[in-house]
Amino acid sequence: MEKPKIVTRFAGLADSRSLDTYLRHDGYQALHKALAMKPAELIELVKASGLRGRGGAGFPTGLKWSFVPKDAPEKYLLCNNDEGEPGTFKDRYILELSPHMLVEGMIISAYAIGAQKAYIYTRCEFYEEIAWMEQAIHEAYRHGYLGANILGSKFSFDLDHYGGAGAYICGEETGLISSLEGKKGQPKLKPPFPALSGYLNKPTVVNNTETLAVIPWIVQHGPEKYRAIGTEKSPGTKLFCISGPVKRPGVYELPLGYPLQKFIEDDAGGLRDGKTLKAVIPGGASAPVLTADEVAKVTLDYESMANAKTMLGSGAVIVIPEGQSMVELLKVTVDFFHHESCGQCTPCREGTGWLSNVMHGIYQRKAKLKDVEKMIAIANNMEGRTICALSDACAMPTRAIATKFGDEIRSYIQRGNHG
Amino acid sequence: MSKQVSFTLDGQEVTVPQGWTVMQAARQEKVAIPHFCWHPGLKVAGVCRFCLVHVEGARKLEISCNLVVQPGMVVSTLRDEVKQAHKWALEFHLLNHPLDCPICDQAGECGLQDYYMEVGLYQSQMTRPKVLKPKALDVGSELVLDTERCILCSKCVRFEDEVTKTGALGIFARGDRSIIGTYHGQKITHQYQENLVDICPVGAFTSRRFRFKQRVWFLKEKSSICPGCSTGCAIKVHGKPEMRRYFRVKPEEDQSVNGHWLCDKGRMTLEHLNPEARLMQAARWQAAQQAWEFSPQTAPFIRELAQEIARLAPQDIALLVSAQYTNEEYAEFFDYFVKQRGITQVYQWREPSEARDDFDGLLLRGDHNANTRGLMAALKQVGIKAKIGDQLEKCVAAKPQLVIALSPEISFTAPSLPEQLAQLNSLARVSLWTTHFSASQWTQLWQLLPLRGFAEKIGTVTNYQGKTRVLKEAFPPVASEVLAISQIIAGLHKEL
Ligand SMILES: Cc1cc2nc3c(=O)[nH]c(=O)nc-3n(C[C@H](O)[C@H](O)[C@H](O)COP(=O)(O)O)c2cc1C
Ligand code: SF4
Ligand code: SF4
Ligand code: SF4
Ligand code: FES
Repeated sequence: MEKPKIVTRFAGLADSRSLDTYLRHDGYQALHKALAMKPAELIELVKASGLRGRGGAGFPTGLKWSFVPKDAPEKYLLCNNDEGEPGTFKDRYILELSPHMLVEGMIISAYAIGAQKAYIYTRCEFYEEIAWMEQAIHEAYRHGYLGANILGSKFSFDLDHYGGAGAYICGEETGLISSLEGKKGQPKLKPPFPALSGYLNKPTVVNNTETLAVIPWIVQHGPEKYRAIGTEKSPGTKLFCISGPVKRPGVYELPLGYPLQKFIEDDAGGLRDGKTLKAVIPGGASAPVLTADEVAKVTLDYESMANAKTMLGSGAVIVIPEGQSMVELLKVTVDFFHHESCGQCTPCREGTGWLSNVMHGIYQRKAKLKDVEKMIAIANNMEGRTICALSDACAMPTRAIATKFGDEIRSYIQRGNHG
Repeated sequence: MSKQVSFTLDGQEVTVPQGWTVMQAARQEKVAIPHFCWHPGLKVAGVCRFCLVHVEGARKLEISCNLVVQPGMVVSTLRDEVKQAHKWALEFHLLNHPLDCPICDQAGECGLQDYYMEVGLYQSQMTRPKVLKPKALDVGSELVLDTERCILCSKCVRFEDEVTKTGALGIFARGDRSIIGTYHGQKITHQYQENLVDICPVGAFTSRRFRFKQRVWFLKEKSSICPGCSTGCAIKVHGKPEMRRYFRVKPEEDQSVNGHWLCDKGRMTLEHLNPEARLMQAARWQAAQQAWEFSPQTAPFIRELAQEIARLAPQDIALLVSAQYTNEEYAEFFDYFVKQRGITQVYQWREPSEARDDFDGLLLRGDHNANTRGLMAALKQVGIKAKIGDQLEKCVAAKPQLVIALSPEISFTAPSLPEQLAQLNSLARVSLWTTHFSASQWTQLWQLLPLRGFAEKIGTVTNYQGKTRVLKEAFPPVASEVLAISQIIAGLHKEL
């Protein structure tokens, strides 16, 4: 299977982050092209490309942009570079390779939706990435890609960045907006949706770093070229970050529709130290686990994952070897969500705590067999009932592990009961 | 009229103004949707996730408090999945709740208890240790806060943000460690503290005044109007008639005046209703003993007063009237004394230091008289021209032989009352009609006649806007010797 390079085309280049390198590889060509188009045409172009948001939910990007009112005088574009989903380390890789890709993508996207100002919301532990990003922003200002009358056009646009303190919930788009507004990082009740009332109650688009970084390529090469890659409903490429005991963990750019098993075995080199595969979390900690049997059947795209009742998520593929205790895995999973729930919605605040509480009981073998079913019942009643998807993000993997590995958990409890 | 929208709620066709939420529509239709965080006077927070309903065609249950009615929408609150969802929502709420109902003031009017009976009735599945939080915190002069009972509905936070605009409260930390409180041990100092007790759906905020005083289910409530200022907020007085005691004042929703709120001053007016503050029997000053002589018989006092009125010429008699009585009382009082008896010396009795035009921006006004406008209208009615202002000194200077005075009822409205009474002492005969009495401060007046308090009468007052405010219901007076003004006047009629 061919593996076209869009985001990773700068990998291996000397001085890949510099403006010179970027310009030598067609950098800012797409911006010239975009500024010659009407914003509405750009939105149509992105719609036609079929690009779906790379932050986790896979929402069609062009469609999201089209919800923004055309005539609002003040609008914002926010780049979600929080990268909080456990197992995910792809967005920082973009900044490591070529921060100008993101900067150019943001200028074009802002022009399309009519935003005058944008922020990159970054987790502040990304010290180096922030320095690289700042460097790129400075260069872009100096060369007239940012600021007043960009490239002599009527379009003026400012870009800045903001460091979040590392709360997972500030990666949720309205949590991010609250945090950026200087408030407690808590998601906002929807409706109203950010496209109508977001940052400072103004129309706002929040997009993931990877989503924005591929925009220049799509604009320059056209939607057909992009659509030629990937599947019908999941066009293009995506970054996947694979972790766990594989021979070559790291970030890979793959066309969507790529077989998961092939990814693990061929690209990542298979499991190391003679380990065998037990399960895979295909899209970050929120994604329901797949058993080894299921892994063989799925491909890396939105539809295949949905059919397997899991999700592509952020593209964080976590490989779990035989011998890994699922009790421990479930415990760290619910503990994470318990720790990160912002706590405003009752089912999430209490549910994450309850799951963690029951799980600790199981872990200490102070539990009953039917506690496994109780966890599933709690998870069922946390899902689809809250302001943001964190509650679901805790419920879905819990249910999957407790269902698919219920016997393992029960025998763990029983061993305890028998001494 | 605004545009109307029709939809189906539990099989009934319902029409509401465009922009209303399903929750608002349900409230109008008296369809009960369980809720904790929604309050009609605050912005929608949508955090308790209790008010779930089923909407035909929707992927999942929706919260009704943030669901704007769309034409033709079909909403159900009765489906099994909705009931199950409510049950679970309640269980989540009760998960870490201390369940100290037996010592909780909220017991009997607690959302958790009520909903447990309506939608709960499950066996608790929580068998693990609960999250513990601080209790009995002093967060303001009127308040005690138990953060463990708090269900984090955020109503109190929104009240401080949106109504008092002080931002005095916040939810700190996150997840199930979230905790309600003030910033850095600060106290809430504004005058609207007890509203927090009203809106808190559980016993997290309790009233310092009311704490542990009474189980709420023993209380009777009567609709009245607050006598604390010229705003005239609608209130419910809660009392126990068989005990002759009053326990608290609560707001009654009235969008035209006070919305959902009351000031703390207004709630303190209650103190003037209870026997300790009241004149319970008629009294006369015994100069020889330098003491008051009380009597269960009021008729002899009225007879004495009648004899004085008969003995004196109308121009030797003066009326001294505070602005804290009802329109009906003024009508009767002036009709008798001015129209029938020809008394023309009429003086207003007000607090000399009052800052009448003050307004705190929310409810409380500097005119601490409930019926200034009513008094002025009543005076005009009997042909007396007057500007609003205290005339007590003028009354004393005129040296009338007899003064018949309607005393101010609420003491915080009249800080100068002791000095004013001392001034009246120089006059020969003062018949003071009053609800309250203070043995330590009051001496020498000729006679005191006990009147009914504001919760013991029906009638109307006219607020600062000129709106007629109705004291709708009355408790029986704290003592049988306590009189209505009409009874005194009827007594005088009989004598004269
Ligand atoms: C709890 C939670 C955490 C999230 N964290 C991130 C994150 O770190 N980065 C990200 O891009 N999206 C994150 N998302 C998804 C965002 O809410 C949002 O969907 C995304 O930024 C939109 O960008 P896209 O359309 O380009 O994918 C998170 C969502 C939830 C519910
Ligand atoms: S679902 Fe959880 S994290 Fe999201 S807003 Fe509600 S309480 Fe906060
Ligand atoms: S103290 Fe009461 S009103 Fe405030 S959040 Fe808690 S439960 Fe709600
Ligand atoms: S504002 Fe005035 S009328 Fe209203 S409660 Fe306070 S004192 Fe009473
Ligand atoms: S009342 Fe609707 S979410 Fe709380």
